[in-house]
Amino acid sequence: MLRQFIVALGVVAVASQAGLAMAANPDTGPGCGLGKLAWADYKNQKNIAPQVMMATTNGTFGSGTFGISSGTSGCTNDGQVMADQKTTMFALLNFENLTQEMAQGQGEHLASLATLMGVPSEQHAAFFALTQERYTALVQDGETSSVALVKTLNDAVSKSPVLAQAVSR
Amino acid sequence: MLSPIVHTLLILLVGLFLATSIEAQEPPAPYLSELLQRAHQAKLANEREWHLLLHYRANLFGGYTSEQDDPGFFLSPDGQTDPQAELDATLTQFFSPTLIGRSKQPAQCAFVARYAWLHERLDFDAGQLPALRCDRFERWREEFHARSITLVFPSAFMNNPASMFGHTLLRIDQEGQTPHTRILAYTINFAADVPKDEGLAYPVRGIFGGYRGYFSTIPYYLKVQEYRDIENRDIWEYRLNFDEPKIRRLLMHAWELGNASFDYFFFKENCSYHLLSLLEYADPSLRLTDKFRFWTIPADTVRLLADQPGLVTDTAFRPSRVTLIRRKREQLTAAEHGLVKRLVRDAAVAQSDDVRSLPLPRQAFVLDVASDYVRYTGERDESQATAARDHNRQLLTARSLLRIPSEDLSILPFATQPESGHKTSRASLGGGWRNNDSFEEFSVRTAYHDLLDPEPGYTPDAQIEIGSISVRHYNRAAQTRIERATLLNVVSLSPIDSLFRAPSWKLNVGMQTIRHGECQLCSNWSLNGGIGAATETHVLRREVWFAFAEVEGNYSRAYEERHRVGGGASAGFYADVAERWRVLASATYLRYALGDRSDDVRWSVGQRYTLAQNWALRLDYNHRDHDNDVLFTVQAFF
Repeated sequence: MLRQFIVALGVVAVASQAGLAMAANPDTGPGCGLGKLAWADYKNQKNIAPQVMMATTNGTFGSGTFGISSGTSGCTNDGQVMADQKTTMFALLNFENLTQEMAQGQGEHLASLATLMGVPSEQHAAFFALTQERYTALVQDGETSSVALVKTLNDAVSKSPVLAQAVSR
Repeated sequence: MLSPIVHTLLILLVGLFLATSIEAQEPPAPYLSELLQRAHQAKLANEREWHLLLHYRANLFGGYTSEQDDPGFFLSPDGQTDPQAELDATLTQFFSPTLIGRSKQPAQCAFVARYAWLHERLDFDAGQLPALRCDRFERWREEFHARSITLVFPSAFMNNPASMFGHTLLRIDQEGQTPHTRILAYTINFAADVPKDEGLAYPVRGIFGGYRGYFSTIPYYLKVQEYRDIENRDIWEYRLNFDEPKIRRLLMHAWELGNASFDYFFFKENCSYHLLSLLEYADPSLRLTDKFRFWTIPADTVRLLADQPGLVTDTAFRPSRVTLIRRKREQLTAAEHGLVKRLVRDAAVAQSDDVRSLPLPRQAFVLDVASDYVRYTGERDESQATAARDHNRQLLTARSLLRIPSEDLSILPFATQPESGHKTSRASLGGGWRNNDSFEEFSVRTAYHDLLDPEPGYTPDAQIEIGSISVRHYNRAAQTRIERATLLNVVSLSPIDSLFRAPSWKLNVGMQTIRHGECQLCSNWSLNGGIGAATETHVLRREVWFAFAEVEGNYSRAYEERHRVGGGASAGFYADVAERWRVLASATYLRYALGDRSDDVRWSVGQRYTLAQNWALRLDYNHRDHDNDVLFTVQAFF
């Protein structure tokens, strides 16, 4: 940590970013490009230089992708995630938190995903139980792609007598 | 002096000229001339609203300059320094459907807030100045489903110089949002756009305005990941009492700022400063940016907002992962704590009888703490990331098989609310004895907090002092001199325990007065850095013990060859004797092998008694080589 500090003060040259784990980011994006970009950038923040930038800059992908009135770029429109990409984008960018909460049977990321999928809050407990039950299969899907994860979830919801009714309303 | 009539005529001519030059193909609009005239008569360009919209600041010697630095934000070439020219050009451009600015919209839509205000003041005739539909803006505004505004303050992060003072951003809370879905809201965030691999240039450019800052709407869930999961910073959320019209104003102006960019100055025109100017526009009765003339420290802006009567309606705390683990750990029995430690090493322990014999909810709790800790190790160390993820998967698989939901715990912070802290600048007045002489002393410190300062509101065990100077008058020597100066003095203590093992470190750049050889009162510049460890006990209230290995370089005319370089060690502790009373003691031994070969023994005992949020008493004793120094001061934070 001292090293990071010194680096930041410019005493030592910044470690090269080459070779730092980028390979662990397969293209699991929802298809509009941002997913991969954002995720790659996000993991990248753990390198020293971007980490230092983070605090003031708060996001190496801030102004391009989420810039206000910046027009259309990949998955965003004037800086907001396009409606049809919202759920997969959320599932992709929060995968670690989501899987943890699925196993634990509750949590804000899971509640938010349920909300995005149209599950009313009275049925969240049922949704949580369902994801806990299918934890292993959902993690496998999610590691393939977030599109697959959301599809499996949707299928499971539509087959659940309680949830299917609540979602379709 | 021009007579008012000549003045008006001149303005009309300018207006016509602007109109014709921009829209050469169309005949000059007589209605535009009328609007320009009415705007001049009403002196709209002098109004606070216009200055807020354009971010004008009064210059020291008259006139105005906008803090905004993007030419695309101004419709007049002189817009940055001429409020009147900008207002004229804006009215003129409202007649045109030409796409302008970075956002490529007609002026009416690119600058919706300007349009709304001028429309309100001049009552545009729809027949002569038709209102354009701004679909992009309307869709964008609706997409927020805005219900309220929350100021978000991720607290200080010691291991990143750029976030040592914390950060602020706004969150646009949604209709129907619950505490569990607030991560879905968008934020409005101001940040510098820093190219990758900036390393060495970063601090310099960051401080002196070398980067451009932009506004963006990053989803809150990404910000939570960044602060809570990766940087381990506690987050404070302050809901602001903004009604629908204020929220609308805020969003209209934020939309306009999509065309803006600001030169980013780390100390003043930073994230917090520009958010304040956005809030000021939303509610012009707030006077916020005036309060910050030289620097804007995020914690100060939080304090300022919290001090506005009725502005903050409620406060929420979002623990960092480390805080979460430490709080959950308090609820473990010794046996369960042992199980967590085993689970962290080996996920297969989840299958053991030791775990399975626990009641189901306790099994779940033990696995949850272990899972949080394994994630923490994966985030902290990139080389561990993959191993930690696989390890966590195994723990979570076991956890999912328990088929019960975790309890929704409310986690209390270790730090108190940021706005309860002392202000960030400090002045001290006092006196004492040094060797055989007595003195009076006055000190000022620009920022921010040291280990003895009253702790409420600040990150515990962290010290950042920037820019302080102490002036002393010695009575017997009849000499007034700069006794001490500090450029930077940072200490980060991370108490080590069975789960958390981060190093502690310190860095100090400054000048002190020493006695060495023939020189009685000599200035000594020093650079000192150390790395070490800390631990805490709870005998009285809370005590933190620390030890460092350190290196030091000195420069002074008192030394042979004017310098010395060496190394050594120091150790010490501080203890809260009572709620308002803290004692800090430390001892150091340094041996200098290069330059002036010598050694140095130092020890010090300091005490602080808190009188009020912004007042404290200090009694410091310092021994250094042959010097003994006692200092009593009254300190005021401002």
